[in-house]
Amino acid sequence: MNETRLQPQAEEPLARARPGKYLTFRLASETYGLPVLAVREIIRLCPITPVAAMPPHVRGVINLRGRVIPIVDLRVRFGLSVAPDHDRTCIVVAQVAAAAGGVRPYAIVVDAVEEVAVLGEDDIDPPPDFGGTVDTRFITGLARAATGVTTLIALDGIAATDASLGKLPTP
Amino acid sequence: MPHEEVLDAIQSLLRNIGLELAFVDAAKDGTAQSLRPLLGELETVVRGTSQDDMVAAVVAAQTWLDGSIAEAVERMTHFHTWLDEAATAWTRGVSLPAWPTELPPLAAAVRPSGSLPSARSPATFSGDALPVTVLPEGWDAELMQLFCTEAQELLQEIEQGVLVLEASPTDADTLATVFRAFHTLKGNAAVMKLVVLQRLTHELESLLDAARRGARPLDRDAIEIVLAGADVVAAYVGETSRQLDGHDTGRTIPLPIQPIIDRVHAILAKPAMPSAPASAPGTVPLPEKRLPPKPIAPLPSAAEPSRPPPVASPVAPSLPAAAVPVVHATPAQALTVDSPRPSPAASSSGSVRVDTSKLDGLLDLIGELVIAQSMVAEAAGGSDGPLTRSLAQLRGITSDLQRTAMAIRMVPIRGAFQKMGRLVRDTAVALGKEIKLIVEGAETELDRTVIEEIGDPLVHMIRNAADHAIESPAERGAVGKPAAGTITLSACHQGGFVVVRVSDDGRGLDPSRIRSKAIERGLITADAVLDSRDLLELIFAPGFSTAAQVSDLSGRGVGLDVVRRNVERVRGKVEVDSVHGRGTTFTLSMPLTLAIIEGLVVAVAGQRFVIPALAVRESFRPLPGGISSVHGRGELVRVRGQQVPLIRLDRHLGITGGIADATQAIAIVLEAGSERRCMLVDELVGKQEVVIKPLGELFAGRTPFAGAAILGDGRVGLILDTLALVRLGLRSPTETAA
Repeated sequence: MNETRLQPQAEEPLARARPGKYLTFRLASETYGLPVLAVREIIRLCPITPVAAMPPHVRGVINLRGRVIPIVDLRVRFGLSVAPDHDRTCIVVAQVAAAAGGVRPYAIVVDAVEEVAVLGEDDIDPPPDFGGTVDTRFITGLARAATGVTTLIALDGIAATDASLGKLPTP
Repeated sequence: MPHEEVLDAIQSLLRNIGLELAFVDAAKDGTAQSLRPLLGELETVVRGTSQDDMVAAVVAAQTWLDGSIAEAVERMTHFHTWLDEAATAWTRGVSLPAWPTELPPLAAAVRPSGSLPSARSPATFSGDALPVTVLPEGWDAELMQLFCTEAQELLQEIEQGVLVLEASPTDADTLATVFRAFHTLKGNAAVMKLVVLQRLTHELESLLDAARRGARPLDRDAIEIVLAGADVVAAYVGETSRQLDGHDTGRTIPLPIQPIIDRVHAILAKPAMPSAPASAPGTVPLPEKRLPPKPIAPLPSAAEPSRPPPVASPVAPSLPAAAVPVVHATPAQALTVDSPRPSPAASSSGSVRVDTSKLDGLLDLIGELVIAQSMVAEAAGGSDGPLTRSLAQLRGITSDLQRTAMAIRMVPIRGAFQKMGRLVRDTAVALGKEIKLIVEGAETELDRTVIEEIGDPLVHMIRNAADHAIESPAERGAVGKPAAGTITLSACHQGGFVVVRVSDDGRGLDPSRIRSKAIERGLITADAVLDSRDLLELIFAPGFSTAAQVSDLSGRGVGLDVVRRNVERVRGKVEVDSVHGRGTTFTLSMPLTLAIIEGLVVAVAGQRFVIPALAVRESFRPLPGGISSVHGRGELVRVRGQQVPLIRLDRHLGITGGIADATQAIAIVLEAGSERRCMLVDELVGKQEVVIKPLGELFAGRTPFAGAAILGDGRVGLILDTLALVRLGLRSPTETAA
């Protein structure tokens, strides 16, 4: 997955995660969190139409009440193990900044949705420095929870760099 | 007025001034001008206080606006605070606060009371094309935009009307229409404080008024000047639009306003009739049908158009304008427009302007409604109960709703056709030809966006026809054709598409010349075998032009390839048919709307795709042996005696599981221009009208799809970009046709 190792265009650090409500969900064995303000809704897994000539992490498009929305598998993007879809697998429909201004819908497949956690200033640690071995570009912070550590991410940066992942030859 | 009320008025004005100040952009000249009217009002109110210092301060403040904006804003801020305090002090009967030291001393700025700040001087109207500032002081973008849109419509009405007047100069209805259009234009210009425009339209209105009342028939001179005037207005409005869009805002453009006004005066002063209309004394009032005629007056005030003054007219009451004997000074005219004119009743029906994005939103909502409804229907099952019956009723309503919403986006093609009248006329006059333009089906409706896209192609084709195709009268006489050439522009509905035809009875396309030109340009080889259809198709090839000499009317760079590109951009297609010596017909088939297409749903490897029906020529099951492999160049399939490249859709999309044995599959012949490709799919699922949805940013330009559509079962189906497919691995038709 060398395409996920692309260097960021600019070395600006990502905005730090702010205290507030976060939707936490599981990707493979890890817990991630998104600010609830960026989440539009959570829906059951529905038929996904694959789109040819797209990088493997783009699962395709879905019909959300008449709108055609791209759906992305962050497990593939993050290089995590991808389990087959099961009954707790669902789709988190979020919105990200559009290149033309405004927002656009952006859906992700998650292994399970956990909870909405209220995180205070003290609950959030800055993104760690793993010494360049782990891609931390989209991590805005780490939150400690009873069950472990939740990685807080921002989808805007992830969505904006989808296009920079080159067109991959399909098998 | 009690002191409190005056104080209230002053404070409310000051609040507004404060607000405006916050929006002033020192880099943009116009923005501070919005303060002017507020200060004017303030001056009136402050005069009620009889406080000389306050009056002097407001008068001074108005003069600051003439200088540097940054300085004016700085000063206004101090002035604002001071006046607020001063007004309060005045109501309480205490002495006024001291004039801020940051501001220039008051006495110096005081002007005699009653003199209003004059920012515009009418002294600039003389000489030829003088530079004109198009945006007025304190312009409001939204209002100006509205003004421009309306002005453009009025200009079209004027142009259309004048062309009719050229043929029948005394047509009372048309005269009234054109007069009214200028009148409205003048009124609007006055409201927007476009003094120059107001003056010009006023003069042109006077000229038409004289014609309308029969005082001064519209001869060729008058028509030319009205057209020239309309052109200047159009240039003005065009520039205004440009500047509103942020291009060179504040720039001045040279416009020959005064020369036109002078010529109008000269025409009106000519003793064609006993006297100039306004100065005819002691005549009987004319019974007026619509608007009272106006005397030619100097610059009217903005409020002028609503007064109905009793006006003297030199024409006897029993003679309506059309019956006034006129000298038929119009020379043999090159043009008649046979299209029905919009009746006054039709144009007065109520209408609203709606932002198209709101319409799109409405369509999206209705789309969701349809899908939600089918989900309910599915949940209800096929049971034969009241629910099913109610659902059937609901389905009827939603489909009507969908159709109506769609119809809102539709506009008659008339607007695009109307421009052509002028174009043909001007071309004919310039080339000394006689050309008749026949317009049919101008009421045919199609999507606004489609109409916008075909405007340029139409202009190009009409120009081509008028310029190159129609011969000179002498040439036509020699081959036994009537001296006047005919160009027919028609629109009609045909099988879910709108078909626009441009045909002429000119010289037609010469196959041998096309051939030699194509060889010369390297488009085909000298020994290529082409049928007549493929030969004609060559004129759409980039860089192809058959005109022996390039005329400045038809330009040189753009050719029919651009026409084809534009038409294909809105998923339409263009075809040509021509008989050498007899004429040429261009046929444009356009979708009714960009939002919906007739789609062919196909399946391959368990996935479904939508193919725009317009691109599909035919489909068939290939026969054994019908497919031949060309070493290293893929497969060819024989279609009606022609070898057409075969694209296996599954391989093309990089998916597996499609039917490999072509004789078990379906071949679909796709066509774009003269190019054909055969696409192999597993099966045809059906035909469906689909609403095109954009795939979105993530996929833009990276996939072989033109968009997506929601299929009957609620899944997303991807719409294949057939143009790209057909052009894929392009080989010239000469190679495949052999």
